[in-house]
Amino acid sequence: MHELPRLSTGIPRLNIILGGGLVEGASYIVQGQPGAGKTIFSNQVAFAKASRGGKVLYVTLLAETHDRLFQALGTLDFFDRTQLGVSIFYVSVFQTLREEGLSAVVSLIRQEIARQGATLLVFDGLLNASDRGDTTLDVKTFVAEVQSQAAFAGCTVLFLTSTRFAEDSPEHTMVDGVIELHNELVGVRTVRRLQVKKSRGSASLGGYHQFEITAAGLVAYPRLEAILSTEAIEDRSGAKRIASGTAGFDAMLGGALPESSVTLVFGPSGCGKTSLGLNFLNQASAEEPALHFGFYETPSRLLKKARALGVDLETPVNLGFLEVIYNPMTENLLDKLGHRLLDAIRSRGVKRLLIDGLGGFERAAVHPSRLVEFFAALTNEVRALGVTTIATWELRDLFGPTVTAPGSEISSLLDNLVMLRHVELGSRYKRTISVLKVRDSGYEPVIHELEFGSKGLSVTSALEPVTGATTGVATAIVPETDA
Amino acid sequence: MPLIVIAEDEFLIADLLTIILEDAGYEVASASHGRAALALVRDKRPALVITDYMMPLMTGLELAQAMRADGDLAHIPVILVSGAQGSIGRAHPDVFEAVLDKPYNEKKLLETVSRLLS
Repeated sequence: MHELPRLSTGIPRLNIILGGGLVEGASYIVQGQPGAGKTIFSNQVAFAKASRGGKVLYVTLLAETHDRLFQALGTLDFFDRTQLGVSIFYVSVFQTLREEGLSAVVSLIRQEIARQGATLLVFDGLLNASDRGDTTLDVKTFVAEVQSQAAFAGCTVLFLTSTRFAEDSPEHTMVDGVIELHNELVGVRTVRRLQVKKSRGSASLGGYHQFEITAAGLVAYPRLEAILSTEAIEDRSGAKRIASGTAGFDAMLGGALPESSVTLVFGPSGCGKTSLGLNFLNQASAEEPALHFGFYETPSRLLKKARALGVDLETPVNLGFLEVIYNPMTENLLDKLGHRLLDAIRSRGVKRLLIDGLGGFERAAVHPSRLVEFFAALTNEVRALGVTTIATWELRDLFGPTVTAPGSEISSLLDNLVMLRHVELGSRYKRTISVLKVRDSGYEPVIHELEFGSKGLSVTSALEPVTGATTGVATAIVPETDA
Repeated sequence: MPLIVIAEDEFLIADLLTIILEDAGYEVASASHGRAALALVRDKRPALVITDYMMPLMTGLELAQAMRADGDLAHIPVILVSGAQGSIGRAHPDVFEAVLDKPYNEKKLLETVSRLLS
């Protein structure tokens, strides 16, 4: 199969969304409302091109002066003032358009591409060109002429416009690709997202993808379920077992955690979920690097908490065996979290993972209906990467007959289910643990008690015979006595 | 009054410069790119040229170099006014009599113009 030569955008992960990058010599419309990020998008592509030795012609039809543009771009990491007038040439053709019309602009652009040896042309202000065009045909001709002249010179073109061209508009049909940037209001927050609406010659990732504008410029986050829709790596889950680090728990599981499996530990607040996870992380080693991916505690608070529980996490952290990534429960982006997690796993070859807890992902979901697909992609990938995972899920009710575990579809994506509960029995609270599922393996179907000792959490004896333990309110079974 | 040619592709800046210089009593003619500016200089023989650096078809440096290479124009002083390429201009003291950095300081601009025309 013939691969088209590509122009790397310099925007993290955008090349993946585009199916490998922009096609060299192709023309694209980049559209979006003012403030959507078009100018930063195009300048980031331009400076990335320049940093690789390419020449860029940036033509504007805007009222804004280039100096104001440079002032704004100066706050971004990719902006390199030394490239101005050397590798990237900004010219305004507003006066040429006003005095001589579109055909003169086309002629000027053609001459400038040749003069500069440009291999990337950014034309900012197609809306203005549209306004100046006497008929639709004029703008269509303008776009056709600019892109044909650019293509002749092997020059990729980005037409920036605030206009939302209809999908059947001449401009839309003529160019090779259309990238739309949105700034969507969701509740009281805004979420940026982009969509590749047309991508000739490329298997781009369809649908919306979130992005951010940071000090580094645009950072794109392809939808995880779209990027991982096909199984890239074989699932390595096998017969090997991974020690949980909690005394007595491995026996309940039928012999420790199956390697590359995902275990959901759910229960109400304070029942020991995090402690179980900390014991798991305490087993980190050079052979089994670990990662704590949490939403509730800062790294220092987490280490302090572990110390109080008698679990030493400082040693594995200091030795580099354990990394703690804290994601404050603020305005998170679902796919940013997913990519952050997978990047951290891949960069250190993580084998033990604690996600504390899955609710952090749920809260970040702007469109909760896609959570099942998201978790399917995420869990498939961590399994394929050979990671043994414990994920926690907090039940809303401390006691009661209703157990609000993640939706049944999500639970079915997980290999092992472990429930922790507070059980009220004889005016005493007991912490309990029970295994509800271990994929493809036997396990002990007995509720056990959990105890916090000097060496942290451990599983102790089986709970005395009661009914209703799983609701949290138990009643002792009184043995029948002979009358 | 002395004629000053402005070579500037950004119309907002060209218009502003024109107003400042006309208010100071100068005659002004402007061109939107370097090549048009060179033609204007050849035609009008101004007393001074103020040029931007990044312009279509001919940069401010190329304009100034073309003037220096033309015996009839070589004596005309050229001021480079630039936001980001001031260092390029300062590296060519043989073609630019003065280099001013944007944003514009009106007083400094008029002082420089007055000095070069005196």
